[in-house]
Amino acid sequence: MGLLDTESGKRRLLSVDLPVIEKYNEGRDLEFRIRIQKVGSTLVLCYNLKPGHNVYSIETRLLSSYPTVPPETRIQTLLKHCPHLLEGQTLCLWRQGSTRTSNRWDPAKFTCIFAVQAAWRWLACYEIWHDTGEWPLPEAK
Amino acid sequence: MDFRPLNELERRHLITALRGNADGNRVLLMDHKDTSFAGSAEEVPDEEVINAIKSVPCHY
Repeated sequence: MGLLDTESGKRRLLSVDLPVIEKYNEGRDLEFRIRIQKVGSTLVLCYNLKPGHNVYSIETRLLSSYPTVPPETRIQTLLKHCPHLLEGQTLCLWRQGSTRTSNRWDPAKFTCIFAVQAAWRWLACYEIWHDTGEWPLPEAK
Repeated sequence: MDFRPLNELERRHLITALRGNADGNRVLLMDHKDTSFAGSAEEVPDEEVINAIKSVPCHY
């Protein structure tokens, strides 16, 4: 399914993802709202998160194959090298490269805001790791 | 980035909330204006759903 060039992709965007982005942005400070950019066949959500005292700039990419393929989230703010961080400061969230059955992303249940929330939780873990050297959550089985 | 760390109490509070969330019995709450940590809860009012992080099935 092409997110921007098929009827089913456009329907998904208009009926699921764009409404939840609008809801997320409601009443939120301008700096922390999600802005959407179109880059080729990809939609890029640009936003900031502040789980502790630090503000992180983030991009979540909805590829043409979204939602079958999970969003990819990269932190634009320079981080220290840490666990669960892939090349290009991409967050290791959904077992990228895993089989569909072991992948933790479920396109029927999740929206792009779920990826934003997962990034928030990842960054909260990072803030603790930065201070203590220990990732506060165990790896899921 | 000029990193500003959490103080001891904030860190303990956040760790407890994260672990409760990973265990599936607590919801993390984001401040609705600036996304800062706003505590955790067992139940979430409907109007706060968009700011509530249920157990995220990430692999860490």
